[in-house]
Amino acid sequence: MDGEQRLFCCSGCLNVCRVIHEAGLDSFYQRLQEREATMAPPPDAPSDIDQYDLPEVQQEFVHSLADGSMQAHLMVDGIHCAACVWLIEKALGGMPGIIRAEVNLVHHRLALQWQPEILALSQIMQRLAALGYAAIPFNLDNAEGKLRDQNRRLLFRMGFAGFGAMNIMWISIALYAGSFSGINIEDRHFFQWVSCAIATPVLFYSGGPILISAMRSLRWVSLGMDLPIAIGAVATYTYSLWQTMQGGEHVYFDTVVSFLFIILVGRYLEALARRNASSATLRLLELQPRMATRFTENGEERVAVRKLAAGDRLRVRPGDKIPADGILIEGESHIDESMLTGESRPVHKHIGNSLACGTVNGEGSLTMRVEKTGSDTILARIIHLVEYAQGSKARVQRLADRIVPWFVGITLLLSSLTFLYWVQADFDVALLAATAVLIITCPCALGLATPMAIAVGTGVAARYGVLVRNGEALEGLSDISHVVLDKTGTLTEGRMRVTDIQALSERNRLLQLAGAVERHFSHPLATAICAAVEADGLTFPSSSKPQLLAGLGVGARVETRDDSSEVWIGNRRLMHARGITVSEAMSEACERIESEMGVAVLVAADAELLGLLRIEDQLREGAADLIKEISRQGMGITLLTGDSAAAAGHLQHILSAQIAKPIRVIADVLPEDKVREIELLQEAGERVLMAGDGINDAPALAQADISIAMGHGTDVSMECSDIVLMGSDVGKIPWALALGKQTLKTIRQNLVLSLAYNIILVPAAMAAWVTPVFAALAMPLSSLLVIGNAILIRRHMQHMRST
Amino acid sequence: MSVIYGLIPGMILLGLVSVLVFFWAVRNGQYDDMEGPAHRILDDDDMDNKQDKDDRAS
Repeated sequence: MDGEQRLFCCSGCLNVCRVIHEAGLDSFYQRLQEREATMAPPPDAPSDIDQYDLPEVQQEFVHSLADGSMQAHLMVDGIHCAACVWLIEKALGGMPGIIRAEVNLVHHRLALQWQPEILALSQIMQRLAALGYAAIPFNLDNAEGKLRDQNRRLLFRMGFAGFGAMNIMWISIALYAGSFSGINIEDRHFFQWVSCAIATPVLFYSGGPILISAMRSLRWVSLGMDLPIAIGAVATYTYSLWQTMQGGEHVYFDTVVSFLFIILVGRYLEALARRNASSATLRLLELQPRMATRFTENGEERVAVRKLAAGDRLRVRPGDKIPADGILIEGESHIDESMLTGESRPVHKHIGNSLACGTVNGEGSLTMRVEKTGSDTILARIIHLVEYAQGSKARVQRLADRIVPWFVGITLLLSSLTFLYWVQADFDVALLAATAVLIITCPCALGLATPMAIAVGTGVAARYGVLVRNGEALEGLSDISHVVLDKTGTLTEGRMRVTDIQALSERNRLLQLAGAVERHFSHPLATAICAAVEADGLTFPSSSKPQLLAGLGVGARVETRDDSSEVWIGNRRLMHARGITVSEAMSEACERIESEMGVAVLVAADAELLGLLRIEDQLREGAADLIKEISRQGMGITLLTGDSAAAAGHLQHILSAQIAKPIRVIADVLPEDKVREIELLQEAGERVLMAGDGINDAPALAQADISIAMGHGTDVSMECSDIVLMGSDVGKIPWALALGKQTLKTIRQNLVLSLAYNIILVPAAMAAWVTPVFAALAMPLSSLLVIGNAILIRRHMQHMRST
Repeated sequence: MSVIYGLIPGMILLGLVSVLVFFWAVRNGQYDDMEGPAHRILDDDDMDNKQDKDDRAS
């Protein structure tokens, strides 16, 4: 590379680098170092890209344009930062036939326009895959497109209210100045009418949805948050209009407009956060392969997956996704089932084993018999579970939601009482006093109490690397009583690492020989060994003739400077089969490692045992502290794992030693078991927090009251979750819990503040003592109090971080 | 004060124009990605520099 020697962890990285280098885009690495130090490994490239060129597959997502070019949107996995955007756009933009390639960094979308006669879609996707990005076409016209339109309409309404608020302020300044230093009656009148002209469209256009929803809630007698907002706005508006027509002195059109503007800003920010919420099931659907290779009487044929039937015989090539659930009838291979179990270690499958749709075939070529297709497959069941859990999940009931009905009822009651009382004396006074009650209780402060606290809490969290996707979750965090944790990838790092080397002779030689052999393989154990060699700064000797003995281990001929030897790496059975003697002590060491959920890998050269490597998926830093902290706060802990009971038992043993209360560990769980476990806890009255990272966790994450996903995890799991931990630091979970408590506390204080304000001022308004100027001063004051109190969250949380 | 009868409609007109510009911008997708473009402008500059360097080197 540029005349320099560079080391790569695997051939995948080497290929990526070669593509980047050949395209003349080397400065990617420069900018990568500047911007982001850590990067997750790129997702595996789909092996069945060519299926996307078939017209029947394409018609679902490709639009033909008038000039003969094609347009499509791709969902791209693995976009981390602006450098990725740059790389994709430049790399694709340089291909002949590409008209437009634009990446949306926030949504991980690629908008493509290309000329089909020059370039096939599969070539574009191949290029992306070569760069390390997995791309999946998707149809913009579905639910997500609708959501985008909704957000745009909200943005229009907010922008319009903002325009109104800015302009009406100028006029209000003139009016306020006039009321202190004197103003012509005609001028005042003119200003009032101009205010009215600005406020009217704002109320009906920007506030339209609020008014409609308030009317609906009146009809169904369910008093929601929109009702007091609508009452406040309409009452203030009508009063001002009436005053304007009467030639009265004071109008509050500016209050109406700014109030609506602030409310809409809050709603827009909220909508931004949950923009991607709907696409989790979409992504899951895309895991399903679209094409399969079927054996027929006269050879093989490519068919669409939905045309498969039970009993068909399929060929599955190395690297392919399994197209349907079925039974393996020929060949053997390792299958990556992380989708189902969360375990990154591939599972060895031989004839008679069952294969699940969507899992990825490893090195062997297989023949399988289809058992279940379409909506009966395990993947379809996961999708169904996620949809069901999302649909049935009870919304976090906001504290304000519980108070509002009472608040509205009492306000209306007091206002009508005031009117009835004063109407006996004078109709005008009665109307004024009744409206004053409505305006004074104008729920600015009440309406802002929750959104402000949540907005500030979300901001503080984001700065600390905790991404709150659903603001309501912050409020819900405070009454969590049970924490469910996924093992692999959440408590542990989710990848294999060499943690101990017991060499019988020279340590470095052992490592180098092992690395030279493992370089030929892509198994996680092999990757771990190669990484260990590089971490020690050692070089790889050259090797040839790699062989794989399924279920035993691997071997190759390794040439070093001085000699050449036959190196074998594997388990005790392999050593036995090769006639290599394993000493008693070594045997015991192996057993101990295996009982502690590690993998013992023996290395031998020319019939002489060199030593053993301990490879395991280590506990994350902070995992033990997390367990300690959670149990200190009196919450229950359940550990779920797709791993074997033995491994889980060992983990339970380590973790339980730290705390008084026992941890429940449930091993061998499938995705639906995880959901059921959470449902059981919920039925027992617990409020459940779930933390996970895999596709197999997605249904459980959707089911839990509050869910936390790891930042390095799958996109599906993040989209099912309320909170995402950037950097995957589980130690931040207690911090998030504390933030939730603080936020709820602030919301309570805010509600008390705004209610106290009402309790003091409403009697005055009922007695017809409140003068309009006084009301105009008092109203913003209450809102400012609430906003100021919310901002204090930042200080509280900083305090907590420093202690 | 009579100047104000001309200024205020003018102000509202200006405001309306800005609203129309805003609507156009939203419809055009200007607000769809709030992060990427901010970086993109830097990226193109970087690449030019790199090419310059290459040119000089060769």
